[in-house]
Amino acid sequence: MKSKSQHLERKRRIIVGMSDARVSDCATELLVTYSLGSCIGVALYDPLVRLAGLLHYQLPSSVQDPARALERPLMYADTGMEQLLGQMEKHGAQRRRMKVILAGAARMLNDTQLFNIGSRNHAAIRKFLWQHNMLIEAEEVGGSVPRTMYVRVLDGTVFLKTKTGVRQL
Amino acid sequence: MTGENCNVLIVDDSALIRQVVKRTLSMAHVPVGQWFEAADGQAALDVLRTNKVDLVLADLHMPTMGGIEMAQHIMADPAMRQIPVIVVSADPNTERLDGLKRQGVRACLRKPFTPEDLRNVVREVLGGPDHE
Repeated sequence: MKSKSQHLERKRRIIVGMSDARVSDCATELLVTYSLGSCIGVALYDPLVRLAGLLHYQLPSSVQDPARALERPLMYADTGMEQLLGQMEKHGAQRRRMKVILAGAARMLNDTQLFNIGSRNHAAIRKFLWQHNMLIEAEEVGGSVPRTMYVRVLDGTVFLKTKTGVRQL
Repeated sequence: MTGENCNVLIVDDSALIRQVVKRTLSMAHVPVGQWFEAADGQAALDVLRTNKVDLVLADLHMPTMGGIEMAQHIMADPAMRQIPVIVVSADPNTERLDGLKRQGVRACLRKPFTPEDLRNVVREVLGGPDHE
């Protein structure tokens, strides 16, 4: 019986940086994003075409800085999600079939009550999903710990790694 | 219910809540055949007596007839008592909600709820994780 972390080690990793998104339909790959603090990782999976996508966005809304959003759309929840959904649909995925899993939105030490980026990021993605008729399958948000998020392309299973270990979401 | 369309009755005096419930069940791909709506318990009983309904989602506090009295009528009627009733209410009285479950209400969901909370309760009551 393999442990969860052993199973993750056997896959080829596609790294998703900050303000970045990747999609994959290669069953031997794993989409990974590190250092999710107040940022949010959004994993999408269409089980019919077996396509996985992962977005790591930093801020809630492109309205805050439209010029920067044009330059770096994956930095924001709204423009980032539009881009990720567009990429996935281009590869044959349909949003009505997609499973949505979220992680992140922590309150980190450098995030004051005034800005509270984590909870604003969470509210922004919930609003986006509601407007686009999508529900969340599972999520782990809040707290004050950084998270690493893994998406197994084979079946869309999401694992989270924190200082306490690896668990399936 | 798997594989069949389900006729759903939403009972709430707030038209907005009825809309939210309807939209959430659509987003969760619950296969609904017909939607029925009622603004109070009496109107809901009228719908139940004249239509085939497979699931009732009801508020507790409504004018004319509240959800508790409505649920009691449903449970007392052999023609209706097998219809699953889910109470969706802001009522903080957990004893009252537990009492309703003992009387036959299948589940209680507290307001405010997330769309995912509602989806999960309906999945649990109708059986099966996915209704696509």
